[in-house]
Amino acid sequence: MSKISIPIGPQHPLLKEPLSMMVDISGERVLGASLRLGYVHRGIERLAQTRTYTQNVHLIERICGICSHIHTTTYCQAVEAVLGVEIPLRASYLRALMCELERVHSHLLWLGILAKHIGLDTIFMHAWHDRESVLDVMEEISGGRVLHAANQIGGVRFDIDHDHDSMIRSALKKLHEQVAGLLDVIENEPALIARTKGVAPVSPEVIKKYCVVGPMARASGVNVDMRRENPIPPYDQLDFSVVTHPDGDAWSRTYVRVEEIRVSLNLCESILEQLPEGPVNIRVPRRVPAGEVIIRSEAPRGELFYYLRSDGTDKPARLKVRTPTLAALSLLPEQLSAIHVADIPVVLAGVDLCVACADR
Amino acid sequence: MKRLKKQFSLFSAIVDAFVEPPETIRYPFEPLNLPDVIRGALVLDTEKCSGCGLCVRNCPADALELDNKSRDEFRLIHYPARCAYCGQCEDSCRSGAIYHTNQLVKPITDPETCVVILHDKRG
Repeated sequence: MSKISIPIGPQHPLLKEPLSMMVDISGERVLGASLRLGYVHRGIERLAQTRTYTQNVHLIERICGICSHIHTTTYCQAVEAVLGVEIPLRASYLRALMCELERVHSHLLWLGILAKHIGLDTIFMHAWHDRESVLDVMEEISGGRVLHAANQIGGVRFDIDHDHDSMIRSALKKLHEQVAGLLDVIENEPALIARTKGVAPVSPEVIKKYCVVGPMARASGVNVDMRRENPIPPYDQLDFSVVTHPDGDAWSRTYVRVEEIRVSLNLCESILEQLPEGPVNIRVPRRVPAGEVIIRSEAPRGELFYYLRSDGTDKPARLKVRTPTLAALSLLPEQLSAIHVADIPVVLAGVDLCVACADR
Repeated sequence: MKRLKKQFSLFSAIVDAFVEPPETIRYPFEPLNLPDVIRGALVLDTEKCSGCGLCVRNCPADALELDNKSRDEFRLIHYPARCAYCGQCEDSCRSGAIYHTNQLVKPITDPETCVVILHDKRG
């Protein structure tokens, strides 16, 4: 049968963000694919060199619309490391609380998209309904649903009181029940299992070859999590498990992410229980002494890498961001080979692409 | 029994959908009850503002401008269309003069409102 090349994107109903793919098919089989990136490149790394450290907090937040908080957290940690300041423990706990809530909403959003691609609109509606309650909590404590502006160099800009505490706890309790229901659906729903089990399996060797990180790697049995490997407070004082699954197919990616929601909900509860008293931020100098630092943290999609070099002025000399999606994108052509055409949406959804993060 | 329970697992969601009020609010025809921490319209307390320019220096969106002749003669100008409503000005102000309220900012339809003079202290 002859080979046909189908262009998908940069604007396509399948894609939520601009990404161009040329998919080669023969009949119902996909032979291979090639990618073109850069449609949402905004030059943020270069722009960051022209803005002050304080202004950059808000610029960095706009790298990604879903995991905005972890970007600013990692950036602030990098600046604080060069400055040599230690933020109050309460501030680091509050940062971690927002990070975990962000992970919950990111994974629920992802689950909704996967379900929508498969055609299970009921799960899509349930997942996004639950996500809404997380966004409400984040809005109530930080003032923003998506762009929280919660971080500042030297701590956080918000604090939680007794009312917030009880509101978050009741939302977490409800979410625990909802997520248990979603997990039951994932483990037992025949339609979801038929569409995801055994689809585009990736071996741990391939994961390591392409340096894939995050839930994608953990779903292939690679036990890696920056919260444990590189524990920045308060993760060194919190007890949590890293969810892995050996299969590496689309179903195990679904399972790992939904289990991670449960882990994150438990972490939120632990953070609220152990939340120390004290200030939430400290004043830091405007100028940052010369130096360089590498900070790695665990974003919802995997390891987030920040390199910061300072030359002693109030603007960074170099800021390098490596987002987890970039590695997952390099694996995508291999994943898209030797699958059915109907499985393309499932594979794309399983990767949990964030093109805005990757292009910056 | 287990199968029957599964068949009716969505029953509570269906009942909720009938009983619960709609999630959407008919804003602007109905009032919005937003949390206090929402970063809405920008307000300046002219009594407290000393014209130090910290808010202008730290604004990431260049939405504030200080037009000053001296310490006592200055104008603080806000460009709402540029503003990112990030709250950095509020954070930077040491005298608590500039702050966000939780009132939503309406879309700009009148070009005259693209420039707002928050403070005019000139002789």
